[in-house]
Amino acid sequence: MNIPNPSTAPVPGEYAGDEVSAIVLDPGYWTTRAGFAGEDVPKSVCPSFYGQLDNDSGAQYLFGENAIHTPTGNLEIKNPWGADGIVEDWDTATKIWEYAITSRLTGAKAGDPAKNGLNDGTNANGDSMDVDIDALDNQEKPLEDSPLLVTEPGWNSAKAREKYIEIAMEEWGAPAFYLQKTGVLAAFASGKASGIIIDVGASHTSVTPVLDGMVLRKGVQKSPLAGNFVSNQTRLVFKQSQPEIPLTPHFMVKSKTPVDAGVPAQAMYKTFGVPPTDSFRRLEEERVLTEFKESVVEVWSGPGRLSNGNNEDISKAMPGRPFEMPDGWNQVFQGERFRPAEGLFDANAALQDADNPRPKDEHTIPRLVQQAVQHVDTDQRPLLLSNIVITGASTLLYKFNDRLSHEINQLYPSTKNRLVAPGTVVERKYAAWIGGSILASLGSFHQLWISRKEYEEHGPGIVEKRCR
Amino acid sequence: MPPFKDDQIIIIAPGSETTLAQLGLPESFTPARLRVRSRMFAAEKEGEWEPYKIRRRQNKAEEASGGDERLYEEDRVSEEGAVWPIQEGRIVDWSCFFALITHVYNALNPPFHTPILLIAQPVWTPKEHEKLTQFFFEKFKTPAFGLLDAALATSWAYGVHTSTVVDVGKEKVDVTAISEFIPHTQGRVMSLPGCGGEALTQGLLARLKSKGLNREMCEQLKKSPICEILPPDVSLPGTKEASEHAPITNPAAAASTGAPGSGPAAASAIGTAPRGPGVDTEVGDDANAEEAEGVLDVASIVAGGKMNEYLAKKEKEKQEKAAAKKKGNADAAAANAARPIRLPNSKREKVTFLYVDHALLDNLKNMNLGSEKLAEAQSTLDEGPQRKGEEGADGESHSAVEANGTGEHGTATRNGSIRREIEVGTERFMAAEDGVLERIADAVHRTISSVDEVNKRSELWDSLLVCGNGSKVRGFKEALLATIQTKYLISPSSATIFTSEIPSNISTPAGTGTNTPQPQLGPHGGAPAHVNPLLYAATTAQTQHLMPHGTPTPLMPGMSHNQHSSHGQTPTSIKYVKPPEYFPEWKEVGFDESAFLGAQVAAKVIFVVDQGQSKGYMTRPDYNEQGPTAIHDYAL
Repeated sequence: MNIPNPSTAPVPGEYAGDEVSAIVLDPGYWTTRAGFAGEDVPKSVCPSFYGQLDNDSGAQYLFGENAIHTPTGNLEIKNPWGADGIVEDWDTATKIWEYAITSRLTGAKAGDPAKNGLNDGTNANGDSMDVDIDALDNQEKPLEDSPLLVTEPGWNSAKAREKYIEIAMEEWGAPAFYLQKTGVLAAFASGKASGIIIDVGASHTSVTPVLDGMVLRKGVQKSPLAGNFVSNQTRLVFKQSQPEIPLTPHFMVKSKTPVDAGVPAQAMYKTFGVPPTDSFRRLEEERVLTEFKESVVEVWSGPGRLSNGNNEDISKAMPGRPFEMPDGWNQVFQGERFRPAEGLFDANAALQDADNPRPKDEHTIPRLVQQAVQHVDTDQRPLLLSNIVITGASTLLYKFNDRLSHEINQLYPSTKNRLVAPGTVVERKYAAWIGGSILASLGSFHQLWISRKEYEEHGPGIVEKRCR
Repeated sequence: MPPFKDDQIIIIAPGSETTLAQLGLPESFTPARLRVRSRMFAAEKEGEWEPYKIRRRQNKAEEASGGDERLYEEDRVSEEGAVWPIQEGRIVDWSCFFALITHVYNALNPPFHTPILLIAQPVWTPKEHEKLTQFFFEKFKTPAFGLLDAALATSWAYGVHTSTVVDVGKEKVDVTAISEFIPHTQGRVMSLPGCGGEALTQGLLARLKSKGLNREMCEQLKKSPICEILPPDVSLPGTKEASEHAPITNPAAAASTGAPGSGPAAASAIGTAPRGPGVDTEVGDDANAEEAEGVLDVASIVAGGKMNEYLAKKEKEKQEKAAAKKKGNADAAAANAARPIRLPNSKREKVTFLYVDHALLDNLKNMNLGSEKLAEAQSTLDEGPQRKGEEGADGESHSAVEANGTGEHGTATRNGSIRREIEVGTERFMAAEDGVLERIADAVHRTISSVDEVNKRSELWDSLLVCGNGSKVRGFKEALLATIQTKYLISPSSATIFTSEIPSNISTPAGTGTNTPQPQLGPHGGAPAHVNPLLYAATTAQTQHLMPHGTPTPLMPGMSHNQHSSHGQTPTSIKYVKPPEYFPEWKEVGFDESAFLGAQVAAKVIFVVDQGQSKGYMTRPDYNEQGPTAIHDYAL
């Protein structure tokens, strides 16, 4: 609270994160995180998936948890992110992010009573027209009094970066804007200015070398071997098991009856007038798979790969973990539970079928780290290797860190390698957001904001110059 | 010396339907003293609001003299043209909402030094919190102001630190996982639409519309004790199994409910059917079945101008009925002696309930009748229990009939509203047939699954809390629990047992590893018949491999995996938290409004007991210094 005199308002144009509540937006493939700078967790965590209902009157979009999990006929579940880890569908992405911000942070703009639509008609005709336009303007700019810090993946294209600032300035009317890479922010969240950030998310795994708060751009590595890959591997485990393990999402089941392990399920199933779409089913299946990943899947902790020596036999001898499907089918998983995540480290071990080709060797996490480190000066390597920051929800896979530590020590036996993995789940999942929250509330950060004036002067190209 | 005294504290709990408020904390906490319907009426001047509908009354004499003077009267019952500022928990009309709060505040008539604790709906955003803070400090000049999350308040009321609060409101459901008194904001399901009390009313309406019932009737049916939500596995009465017993075991009920046909026709057998489970069953004549036409929609008859004929007919009918009743009383006495135990509601096919017809009353009032005539028409149309006149407080009959209601109607009836009897069939059990319970169950599952700490989840499943007036419908909570259990419970007979608990016949391994688990089952060949074969296989499999390796470590990772997630998968059990025993006044009325009780407890703690140490509220100097944004630092 460093206002000199509490009764004077801050000078307009002075963007102080402490006083003016800056909003930090951390969009991801699985969830979109948003919250006020200076807080320790994002208040708003919304799914990045959205529902689309095609009516005669055009497409209707549904956002938020509540809307996308109700089985409705013709409800298509989509995601605005492209396969390359860059936003593809900008229009919808903007809406999702706006939803994440307005639904839980700022609230819909209420406006004054003359504009809230309830008192229309009392005015003369001409007046109410004006009011309507005002109200429309008001609604279109949800962020008029909050500077916005957005995170971006390390490989974002210049075009995409300009798009970010356009959305913030033009559509949301933000007074100030800044763009920062997730890698740097995750490092900040762990209190590091330099390090290698390994971020295993839903759609992508990225390895980002950061030196003194700057990303070494050519060193940034990404691969599609991440949470969704593990989910697909889990599907393959189910499919290739004998007999095949049925994956029935919760919404299909009316009630289940306990059955013995391995016995076909005896559940009452629901019937739908209009069957839910495949994309909806897939999203709901993903919920079951998430539960499976949380409670059953384990990363072979090493040393060595799962396929080395008799490691596989040892893994089979480990106590099994039971799992019950929504329809009541249940089984104890023993050796199989090490399979889904092994592909992250060993491309040969990944299960394959027609839809899931063998992943490339250079996409495994150890190889990503190796390539990232190769792009760094030799004398900087020990510094970075002693600060390996682990983040992303998929790193919460059981024993992930043990394995990673073994792999890295094998690659770099001569340096002192240290993994920095936040202990609490929240910090691991939302590291980039937390870093953004810290950054945006720093006093010294104020000079970095790109103000509206600057944007209007220089156009969207300014983001390339200012946000490195 | 605490900064505030018990009797100075104001608690306000705004809701979509009812706003609760109270000034002062009594020695033993009581339900809210002030209950206000959360609606206001637009005043003549734009932007101003009135708490009651203002009706313009023309006085004939004045009209004749051409006087411009108009008379206004407050109509405390009518809800025509009301604006409800809170919808689905969200504040949609701020000026109306502020007017409502001001009305509540004035109704409490507080002295100067009163801190205010406001129960905040989960869906309110931080920005809205700031707005509220500003309003309370600037408008009421309150010395201290606190915001308490509704879900958190509920957990305070129950005194549990970890719980999953399911708040069933009017049009929405909020599901909040709370661990160690901290709500998980990330995965919280807020304002799930189409699941609250209103959805149940609509569910009834969808089924009873064809029988001539309107929304208001369904709303009251829902609040009457005959409306019930049956657990998923209970069959409806009238279906094969149930109907076999019903008429046989209760000849009296059969006599009264066995009238041929259903819906309006049967409903017209006024006063003859059992009035409901709370009241004695009468047996009478079925003579006036020809009344069937339009009997439900008296309001439109009245509005249509045929009132006088209708009133005359009604009067006649009443006299007949009274006569019949005298005769009937004798019969009933005889029947009473022979009558076996009355059937529970869930076994009956048809039951009647008393309907308080506000629309009719509105229409009557709109007709500008003199007050005498109005009263006359009212008493003619009123089909409530005859003793109403004598009964000063008309407490008993109503508390029975409206046990589910908000209590608001009890006062409304006193103002001379019109009650009629309506009979309904098994539709009354179908309020939640549209998947309301399943949607709530899914929301609970989603909420708990999104709690990051996996090991907390099983505790959250074990401490479900259902509150909110939407859940008052009879059987709702039981049916919800049954729905959740049939869908999500991981059955204990499955393989889960091995990892969730160490089987009792294996001793707990000590940290040193010396106490390696020993199989105490029979020899490897023959598992005892009563042991689950999987249990046997798993335990022996573990130990078989433990032995050759000669070290207990392979087991230890398994155990630590359990630490990471104490149960592999949740839930292995689902339970409701028992309501606290030590609030006698609350025990009487139920804990549906437990958020208010929680707020009382919290107010006592933050304002009085800890003397402001916990920063549970913001003081006026704080506000002056830091402005409304600082409220986030003070919220509980």
